[in-house]
Amino acid sequence: MQRIAALVVLVALAGCATNQRTSFPPPQGPASPTIPSPGRTPEPERVPERPSEPEVMPPRSAQEASSPAVLSLLGRADTLARNGNMDMAAATLERALDLEPRNAFVYQRLASVKLAQGQGGQAEAMARKSNSVAGDNPFVRADNWRLIAEARRVGGDRSGADEAMQRASSYRSASQQLMR
Amino acid sequence: MAAAVLAGYMVYLDGAVRAQFEGTRWTLPAKVYASPLELYSGLDLSRSEIVSRLDRQGYRASSSLSRSGTYRSSVSRLDIHTRAFHFWDGQQASREIRLNFDSTGVSSLSALDKQGDLALIRLDPLMIGSIYPKQGEDRILVKLGDVPPMLPAGLITVEDRDFMNHWGVSPKSILRAAVANLRAGGVVQGGSTITQQLVKNFYLNNQQTLVRKAKEALMAILLDAHYSKPEILEAYLNEVYLGQDGGRAIHGFGLASYFYFQKPLEELQPQEIALLVAMVKGPSYYDPRRNPERALRRRNLVLDMFHSAGFLEEDSWREAKKADLGVTARTVRSTSQYPAFIDLVRRQLLGQYKDADLTEEGLRIFTTLDPEVQAAAEKRVSDGLDKVEAARGIERDSLQASAVVTSVEGGRVLALVGGRDAGFAGFNRALDARRPIGSLMKPVVYLTALAEPSKYNLITPLDDSALSVKLANGDTWRPQNYSKSTHGSEVPLHYALTHSYNLSTARLALDVGIPDVIDTLKELGYNGDPLSVPSLALGAVDMAPMQVAQIYNTLAAGGYYTPLLAIRDVTTREGEPLSRYPLKIRRAVDESPVYLTNWILQRVARYGTGSTMYRTLDRSINVAGKTGTTDDLRDSWFAGFAANRLAVVWVGRDDNKPAQLTGATGALQLWAGIMADIDPRGLMNVPPEDVVEVPLRLRFDPNGASGNDYGGCSGTTPVPFVRGYVPDGLSDCDSDIMRENRYRREQPQQRQEEQEEGNWLQRLFG
Repeated sequence: MQRIAALVVLVALAGCATNQRTSFPPPQGPASPTIPSPGRTPEPERVPERPSEPEVMPPRSAQEASSPAVLSLLGRADTLARNGNMDMAAATLERALDLEPRNAFVYQRLASVKLAQGQGGQAEAMARKSNSVAGDNPFVRADNWRLIAEARRVGGDRSGADEAMQRASSYRSASQQLMR
Repeated sequence: MAAAVLAGYMVYLDGAVRAQFEGTRWTLPAKVYASPLELYSGLDLSRSEIVSRLDRQGYRASSSLSRSGTYRSSVSRLDIHTRAFHFWDGQQASREIRLNFDSTGVSSLSALDKQGDLALIRLDPLMIGSIYPKQGEDRILVKLGDVPPMLPAGLITVEDRDFMNHWGVSPKSILRAAVANLRAGGVVQGGSTITQQLVKNFYLNNQQTLVRKAKEALMAILLDAHYSKPEILEAYLNEVYLGQDGGRAIHGFGLASYFYFQKPLEELQPQEIALLVAMVKGPSYYDPRRNPERALRRRNLVLDMFHSAGFLEEDSWREAKKADLGVTARTVRSTSQYPAFIDLVRRQLLGQYKDADLTEEGLRIFTTLDPEVQAAAEKRVSDGLDKVEAARGIERDSLQASAVVTSVEGGRVLALVGGRDAGFAGFNRALDARRPIGSLMKPVVYLTALAEPSKYNLITPLDDSALSVKLANGDTWRPQNYSKSTHGSEVPLHYALTHSYNLSTARLALDVGIPDVIDTLKELGYNGDPLSVPSLALGAVDMAPMQVAQIYNTLAAGGYYTPLLAIRDVTTREGEPLSRYPLKIRRAVDESPVYLTNWILQRVARYGTGSTMYRTLDRSINVAGKTGTTDDLRDSWFAGFAANRLAVVWVGRDDNKPAQLTGATGALQLWAGIMADIDPRGLMNVPPEDVVEVPLRLRFDPNGASGNDYGGCSGTTPVPFVRGYVPDGLSDCDSDIMRENRYRREQPQQRQEEQEEGNWLQRLFG
């Protein structure tokens, strides 16, 4: 039963990846970090203010945020997971992380594989890690909190699951705002 | 009677010969592989960087690209015929691929063969060593059918022309040897056949006595009677001794091919095969690395023999004789190329595998070592120490150092340097030299405080006045700042860490409680049990660089702990998976206080004790880090990280006398060099969910704030706060001096007037 629930989540996520959404702009490149003015070691007199960035739609799917190499690994991992080969699916996703260590979608996929392997604790840790590298992306966060809710439910933590579900739905409304 | 004894002896020998030949003939040390290079569109390596890696792995430039292990390079592209390799996750076939390049690296990857598109491909990994007993044989088994035909043909030609026809011994050659020995009045020459040589290696010690000779001959005849010529030849290919690498004996052509040419036997060229065949006669006497001229002469002699025997065509023969020896560079080293790293691998395997499993079963161990990062770290450590000694008038070669480099995310150990001479397998300082960590401890104190956002934020004023603490044992602890001065009672929290103040940090630690600091330290991944004493706040705890790396890796990964690993996978000799080391993460510390702590550590790098790093490092790269210096300048530390790389460096002396270096003058210099060479990506500073930023003017200066505070809103820096805990009344454009902000709030009108008056006066007199 537990397995089935986990697999449902997994497949749902895998489905997201194969949904091509080409109407959105490509993912942002590495945002330029705020670099304090060069020169003196003591406090700078002036620090250039951060330019106000235009509102950019955050990536909704792995397609929009990943290189072809990572996408091909995600595809391979999906196939492995669908065939029940979770160990190899995880290994393949780790290989993707070597290429893009801060790709929130890869961590999310790892979380769902861990869930399918019955490792709720690791699933939650991976989903939260995904959140921590997702920046301000309500799409990713909504799915991550759903995964966390599922991990907690399976682990018998009802109230924790409810709380996670609430966070998932608040991020879902945030993402619907963005869609308008 | 004598005949019966001889017959009985023959039966005994026969049993021995067969048991040895058919039993487990060889123990196979585990083979250790580096992390493979992934090739894909978007990879930020230039063509020449990839070519140098191919060269290191024995790939050969070839315009035809007809065999695996070759490449073809032109101005903006690179074609590679990759080698097939059995990875931990399955077989990867040999492919012919094309890489195109632009200014940033690989711009596209495509297939030249008809085996379908590909988005990425791994090069076969570099073999970095074996796990063998202290004194032992190492080999890679080959099958007769897989080796280039020129090798067995050449061996027979040079070593034993009569091999296919004799019965294990060759009366002709014995006669010839006997004559030579008689003339010399002793045993100077062996008329040994290949079979006899095999017997000698297999069963007998190295004494050259007549009795032994006779025994050898008898056994050779028995061996020849029981086994086919191809079986004997294959055993010979795998058994023959071909060189020495410290305590490791290089046996068989399979390993020799890697040892001398860094590539598989199948890819050897005629002159390379000839060199190996030439060396059979005396691997040490004809060592191509130590005696290149002698080796070259004998190789060419062997090439002539190949040619006159008829299996080396005229053109190839001339070509081959012109070629140089082609052995890969390798300094004379006691064991493997990466003793410190292999040591770590071995320790991580211990407990899971018995020693015998590792030294006998031929396991394949896939590690996280990145050969490029390792090479950079080794070079920067050894060059850096030379420079530091020269610049500071320190006795030459008196300093030691060690370094750990990790991938941050995933916790992979990319490089490990155990000492100044990285090839020397001695004391592994990166794992075993535990020294006080000094100020490297401070971020742990600040993190503990910042985890209580209701009490501490980045601009909380800290007291940096003199301090004395009565200890449980009756002593009094009186810490001092490095400068021996104090900095008043209102140092903003961020400033105290940026400039590594001891007094304010000690007071802060006593405020939050040493036991809480210890809890944080353990959450971050420290596995020891430090004494709960006030001086812990300033680093009174001994750690090895690897332990420091574990703690800082958790900070670098945003509060997520991942055990540092050197191994990804272990498979059997045949490639069956044995153990995986999957990525495991634990949310160790709340992200928000980690973000705040790392924000300060970036200021350490920009403006604080670490700022000289930017003499070496590109200014546009945001990194975070901390210096560490211990009493009497004994230990010099630096721990720091970019988004994708973390490095910890220790510099000091083995005898623990003062090294006369601070963290900044010693370890930091090595660290910056390493970092500059390993493609660091700048930290991005995306605040986590529960962090907000307030633009503030950071104007605290312990020598009195710089000039009058004219207010305004220029020159602000976004300062992060935990959501919901921005201090009451703090508003945009305030400063980091809380007293000043309060003052401005209380008298907004007056301040405005003063400011205008100031400006007016300035205009008048300016």
